[in-house]
Amino acid sequence: MAVKLLHIFRNTPLGRETLLQSSYFCQKIDALPVIYLPVSTKFLMYFENSIAQVDLDDSYLLFPETAQKHATEIVESFGLTPGFIEPKDFTASTLPDIPINFNFMCCPRSISDLSSKIGLGYIGPRVRKIVNSAHFPVLITSPVYKPWKKIAVFFGGSKNAVNALKLGFYFARKTKMPIEIFTKIEKISKHDMENIIEKENLKKEFDSLEIKWNIFDKGSFEENLYSIPHDALVILGAYGHGLIKEIMFGSKMEIIQTVIPNNLLIAGPEYVSHNY
Amino acid sequence: MKRLEPLKKIYNPAKWSFFKFDDRLLLILIGAIVGISSGLAAIALNRSLIAILDMLHHYRHLWWAFILPGIGALLSSVFLDKILKEGAGHGVPEVIYSVSRRGGLIRFRSSFSRLISSCLTIGSGGSAGPEAPVVMSGAAIGSNIASFFSLNDRQRITLVGCGAAGAISSIFNAPIAGMVFTMEVILGEWSTVNIIPIAIASVAGTEISRILNGNQIAFEHASFNIGLHDTLICIELALITAIVSIILTRLLRQMHSISNKIKAPLWVRAGIGGCVVGIMGFFMPVVLGEGYHFIQDMINGTFSTGILIAFIAVFAKIIATSFTLGWGGSGGIFAPGLVIGSLTGISFCRIIHMLWPDVSWMNEGCFGLLGMAGVISGMLQAPLTGIFLIVEITGGYEVILPLIIVSSISSTLCCFFEPASFYLKDLIKNGQLLRPGTDARVLADLSIVEVIETDCLRVKNNMILRDFITIIQKSKRNHFPVEDHKTGFFLGMINLDNVKPYIFNDMVYDAILLEQIMNTETDIDTISLEDDLSTVLKLMDSQELFSLPVISNKKFVGMISKATILNKYRTELMIQSTK
Repeated sequence: MAVKLLHIFRNTPLGRETLLQSSYFCQKIDALPVIYLPVSTKFLMYFENSIAQVDLDDSYLLFPETAQKHATEIVESFGLTPGFIEPKDFTASTLPDIPINFNFMCCPRSISDLSSKIGLGYIGPRVRKIVNSAHFPVLITSPVYKPWKKIAVFFGGSKNAVNALKLGFYFARKTKMPIEIFTKIEKISKHDMENIIEKENLKKEFDSLEIKWNIFDKGSFEENLYSIPHDALVILGAYGHGLIKEIMFGSKMEIIQTVIPNNLLIAGPEYVSHNY
Repeated sequence: MKRLEPLKKIYNPAKWSFFKFDDRLLLILIGAIVGISSGLAAIALNRSLIAILDMLHHYRHLWWAFILPGIGALLSSVFLDKILKEGAGHGVPEVIYSVSRRGGLIRFRSSFSRLISSCLTIGSGGSAGPEAPVVMSGAAIGSNIASFFSLNDRQRITLVGCGAAGAISSIFNAPIAGMVFTMEVILGEWSTVNIIPIAIASVAGTEISRILNGNQIAFEHASFNIGLHDTLICIELALITAIVSIILTRLLRQMHSISNKIKAPLWVRAGIGGCVVGIMGFFMPVVLGEGYHFIQDMINGTFSTGILIAFIAVFAKIIATSFTLGWGGSGGIFAPGLVIGSLTGISFCRIIHMLWPDVSWMNEGCFGLLGMAGVISGMLQAPLTGIFLIVEITGGYEVILPLIIVSSISSTLCCFFEPASFYLKDLIKNGQLLRPGTDARVLADLSIVEVIETDCLRVKNNMILRDFITIIQKSKRNHFPVEDHKTGFFLGMINLDNVKPYIFNDMVYDAILLEQIMNTETDIDTISLEDDLSTVLKLMDSQELFSLPVISNKKFVGMISKATILNKYRTELMIQSTK
């Protein structure tokens, strides 16, 4: 079954950059880009146990007459054929429901606020909601198209981090790109993490790939982030801890998204690991 | 909500082993909580409405008061559309859609959005009712509580029903009507699994109403003496109420489409609609607001206008409701339906008194009451809701026989002329009303991915016939997808019929390539993974096909056959029937 990525197309230069990122992503893993050309500023995504209402920035509706042509041109320049979706179901006449049977979704850092807000340290509320609810990982792109040449995975031993690691392995297999793992030693040791990898039956794959495992045991986490290659796709888990823990101790994902400008592939708490 | 997981592990009753034995107990417990919450929401709306009506009462006689409903509808529209970005209609169809297609998922914002917007519309004088907003609110409360406890779709749908039942029970102080409305209109099925939690939620909602508002019957009346001739004349009343229901339903839609054609923002249209109602209300106050005190006058027999005015009032209220709801105001059609029904009833009563002055008819209030039942049953095409609602809100069990006649005949006649009720028409038109156990629902719950067969042997377009014959010997299938040898793209299908002319001539085995004898993509029908099964079956029926290739991204994915669909269909039907 074809691996599919959902992309909400914005027919502007900024939207072009985002679609270039999506197309590159699809080209690397042989996925089908499925594009939604919005006809209204609102749409719903019904997930298994929650609904995400996406209120798009008005710029998503600009120049509808050229949107499909532009999107097709961009995707075809990567040797891919785009799929387009038209909503079949409507919760209300102006509120279409977008299907969710995808393997990935691409979002800029914000899809409902003015594009001037997009910058490091800011992920819009709708994008957060999608990451929190989706069974697929969300590709949060950098504002300008930049092909990535490596895979960087953040692994801290949690369930979400294991999912991120599995995704990293999948990308390394599919793209044949080098993969690096980044771990900040805090409560659990490297040995414990190796045990987790073994317990999750990832040892064999871990050994078969040429993995560079970077362990940070000194300095602050922010300081260590300078080691992340600038041309890497960064894969990480998010929202795996409880709300109270996050309020008390902060979130690693928030630190990462505030500091590094790379493309991020985020596996949320509802992400279901697949054998693509 | 996932982030509250640690707390939920401790406080989530769904995880308690006591409830793992039978989830009905769990649904009863949470259903009661939902019933109380939705009951409180209903009381909150009721009290807010009273407060706004009191506040604006002093201004009603002023010449500019006609703009009040306009301002109310405008604010309501701005609140819903711009602030909360609801983008949705009156509420009940959205609840039915969520039950029918989305496992009962409803947005959290819907649990309060309609309460506030309808309060603005109705409180300022718009012709609408608070019932649909409280149903929406109660259902959203139920849905979100179910999601909080991570309940499954079936359990969530039950709790959506509990919310709707609790809200209706609370606002009318009518537990049976709440229950029946939910089963008949919202869920569309009467299963024992649902009835008990919904009954408990109705009781909880009603008790909340009784604690906070007292045990009041909405429209009390003196006792009626009903004879056989009264019961017989009800058949004609049913006919009249059916006509009125059809006019109301059609005019509401008409107004909605007229409003949509006007190139002005929704809030402007809502304001215009509200002002029209305000102007009408200047001459005929019965059209303003929910109009419950007029109903009380009519049932008491103290509604003193003449036949002509009462008759005009029926249509004035219909037009006012259409302007309010069709042009962007927020609220429901229950209360206007009751007012229109009672006006129809007393108009009818006065006409028959005029035609047969010597006959001793039951009193006017009773006709008003029967008229309400007729219009509600006709409009919703839910006779039981009409019957139980009127019995409970009037405390008039002695009218049960004529009530049954009016409700049944009115809903039957309406169904004949308008096959779908007001709430269901758009859903049916868009193929979104899928009641459990129906053919459409079973097919909708199955996806192509579930029925696809991927064990087909693929062949390349440049394969020679000799190699293909070897493949035929290995395969159990008669159809073979042909792919481009370079790109892997799907090019067509080849089956045994294509090979028959050459199979007994081994001289050509090495001379024929498959691309020369295959059926190309343009000759055959294909389907994609995004197609729904009902479309696939229609295609199979129209083309008399038993199987079809599934193509995705120009590549062959698998085959889909009628036999596999039937197998899965039966399994799914059994699951839905035994829920």
